[in-house]
Amino acid sequence: MNVVKLHLISYHFCSEAEKKTTLDQSLRGVLGDQIKASCDEYLALIYISIEAVTEGICSATTPFLLLGDVLDCLPLDQCDKIFSFVEENVSTWKSSTFYSAGKNYLLRMCNDLLRRLSKSQNTVFCGRIQLFLARLFPLSEKSGLNLQSQFNLENITVFNKNEQESTLGQKHTEEKEDGMEVEEGEMGEEEVPATCSIPIDYNLYRKFWTLQDYFRNPLQCYEKFSWMTFLKYSDETLAVFKSFKLDDMQASKRKLEELRTSAGEHVYFAKFLTSEKLMDLQLSDSNFRRHILLQYLILFQYLKGQVKFKSSNCILNDDQTAWIEETTKLVHQLLKEIPPEGEKFSAMVEHILNTEENWNGWKNEGCPSFVKESDELTRLWNLHADNMEACKSDDREFMPSLDEFFAEAIEQADPTNMVEDEYKVVRNSNYGWRALRLLSRRSPHFFQPTNQKFKSLADYLDSMVSKLAKELPKDIPSEEIKTGEEDDDDNGDNLLKESNDSPSMQSKMVSNQQMDDVAAKLGAKWKTLAGQLEMKASELREIETDSEDVDMQAKLLLVAWQDREGTQATVENLVSALNAASFTQIADNLSEA
Amino acid sequence: IERLLHMSVFSQSFSPCGKFLAAGNNYGEIALFSLSAALGPDANELSQKPILTFTAHEGPVFSLLSTDSHLLSAGNGEISAWSWAELIKKCLCALPPSLRSSLEIPEINAMALNPADNSLAVGGGDNNVHIMDLENGAFKSVLQGHTDYIHCLSVRERASEVLSGGEDGAVRIWDTRTSQCVHCVEVYKYETCARPQHGKWISCLTTDSDWMLCGGGPSLSLWHLRSMSPTSVFPLSGCQRQATFYQDMILTVGEGQCVSHCLMGGEVKAQIPCTPHSINTLAINTNSTEHRVLTVGGSSDHIDVFTNLSYKAFSLRF
Repeated sequence: MNVVKLHLISYHFCSEAEKKTTLDQSLRGVLGDQIKASCDEYLALIYISIEAVTEGICSATTPFLLLGDVLDCLPLDQCDKIFSFVEENVSTWKSSTFYSAGKNYLLRMCNDLLRRLSKSQNTVFCGRIQLFLARLFPLSEKSGLNLQSQFNLENITVFNKNEQESTLGQKHTEEKEDGMEVEEGEMGEEEVPATCSIPIDYNLYRKFWTLQDYFRNPLQCYEKFSWMTFLKYSDETLAVFKSFKLDDMQASKRKLEELRTSAGEHVYFAKFLTSEKLMDLQLSDSNFRRHILLQYLILFQYLKGQVKFKSSNCILNDDQTAWIEETTKLVHQLLKEIPPEGEKFSAMVEHILNTEENWNGWKNEGCPSFVKESDELTRLWNLHADNMEACKSDDREFMPSLDEFFAEAIEQADPTNMVEDEYKVVRNSNYGWRALRLLSRRSPHFFQPTNQKFKSLADYLDSMVSKLAKELPKDIPSEEIKTGEEDDDDNGDNLLKESNDSPSMQSKMVSNQQMDDVAAKLGAKWKTLAGQLEMKASELREIETDSEDVDMQAKLLLVAWQDREGTQATVENLVSALNAASFTQIADNLSEA
Repeated sequence: IERLLHMSVFSQSFSPCGKFLAAGNNYGEIALFSLSAALGPDANELSQKPILTFTAHEGPVFSLLSTDSHLLSAGNGEISAWSWAELIKKCLCALPPSLRSSLEIPEINAMALNPADNSLAVGGGDNNVHIMDLENGAFKSVLQGHTDYIHCLSVRERASEVLSGGEDGAVRIWDTRTSQCVHCVEVYKYETCARPQHGKWISCLTTDSDWMLCGGGPSLSLWHLRSMSPTSVFPLSGCQRQATFYQDMILTVGEGQCVSHCLMGGEVKAQIPCTPHSINTLAINTNSTEHRVLTVGGSSDHIDVFTNLSYKAFSLRF
């Protein structure tokens, strides 16, 4: 605390940078003093330092230095707690203030810890450290990658080659002198070897475990003699797997459990147990087989694959490739036969190995970073400041106008063109749907109530098209439309006659307004007109049920008439009908309007 | 080489100490193999060859049997007894048998030992089962009843019974004390077992106190001796030549290049491939724990050895 006081005094008289250094030093000093204190106090101090960095009064490296100091001084069980703190704050470490300053320190700190820990005794802690490093660094961080695709050549599987060494292994011995653990399933020197109680297939035993050496160092496979041995031993081993089918799961599980309890408390799978007594049991164990078969598949993938770091003489000849292909099939078949869920396992393995190809490719390219810069996306994003406004702009208006869309349909509707029904575009359901949507937005005809029943969308569209054809701008110089009109003339002579009298008005279609007027005047007497309009009784009934209001009914009648007549729903026709029904006054009104 | 190609192994027997295997072939030879050498960690190709081969009989050695001290071999009409001690000492000179039977029995196919009264049951081509007293080598009795030659024999110790199966399709159960036939089962008459396309002969027979396995022309079937009815029939296509009870399983061999593992319920659990295409003899070395292996021999000069029942470890060769 005296150190702190002193520093605080000099604090006021220093520059910013010097202030920082002062604080750094004091923090470290305090920590040093507190060495006998509990973890929580350390953590509190380190937490203060983090806050200080955020405030800008302390250099960014200080928290890391403090952590490093603490971990160096503490025994492993307390390091656990400190490390939890580190893990929890991974997001802090990753933030920009801390990352560049601290990453190297963190890496060194973790590596130091890993060196101190035993891979077999503190597996979980080692795992946590590895996971933390994985979260902290991006995927392409070079220090975390095996860039050269090197193999762990030190992973040697030891087994008994001589009879003298073969003993009834009960305990695992670990040589702790140099930290290297060699698990052999052997026992200590004191116990007298008991005689073997089961027959042992030494031949298989030796060949089987020799295979592990090939898995450890696959490059041996490229040498001719080694390959021959590998081939021979593999064939024999796989033949045993094939012959020895697994089914009785329960029995083998039980045996393995018994073995485990007799072998002592430390049971872990960092290395294979290679006692020859275990061979039979191992062969009956599904998981063991899966391990071995998977090793084969991984090896084959390496041998066949394009790996940048293989030297040029590492190529398989045709025979070797053929054997690998065949054996891969056999291995997969064997995997499928292993209960439980062999098929699923085999499929999963295949999938994973396929994914491996991608990683292999990535390595071949020197592990490029995964953060992608995309020009196209940037351009798209920057097209308009406000994307919502951009959507509203006029040049994004894509809906066609009625005449553009229906031009083709109108042309086809013209009888002179003699377009057969089935080829008409209105019969295309796609077109029909779009037509409906367009009509709903652009055309008032869509919303006019009609009594006409249409058997299909195509028929409805036909009638719509003919209505539209009438309304479209007639400045399109087209002979078709003219001939269409001529045809109409053929159908209705009175049309022509009456048009002579008042050409412009009489040949016009009855408008909505006109219909409303007439309907209002007709009122309840609309049924009389119905007779003149040649309406069917069924239609009359429908009108009656549709509405109770007489004016409405009259209107419905007229609309129905209009729908039916289509192009013939002209003023003259209505007038003549009205006259015939003795509604002369209404007729006159209509003519004059 | 040709000789080897045409060789068939018909019989096997383990030494009382369990360290040796004797095998008899169609040339009348008996070969002695050292199991400890073949199973040892330093075994090589030579360890898989016989330590001794000698001609025991003129005709094929169809049956081999071991007592506590002697190896009994049956050839064309005669039974010879060889001292195991002598055999193991590998006397290569022409070995005269310690004993030769006095009675000429045509074509001895099967022998079975009855330790209860130290007698040997011999099944022969004369359709009879002869009982020989091992003390003096004299024949005590003849069990007559079969109408065709005997294929196989089995002894049911507890009940002092001998079971015999023959070409006539019958399995006869004889009481050794009275020399009477107490039961006669004509297996081929049972629909579940019968396989008329193969014939009616019974080539394989074995008992285990209350149970009996028999097969041949008819399918291999498991019978309950008290009720004298078949409880399970095994769906094995070939004709079975030898079957045995082992732990809770049934192991059987015959036509077909495999050892079949079956369960009492009738299920075929596994079929383990072997070298010979057709197998005549199956033996389990119950005389030793460290050499407890299964060996099979058949239409080949190879005898397959199994340390683990589920796969063939290696082969001994004549």
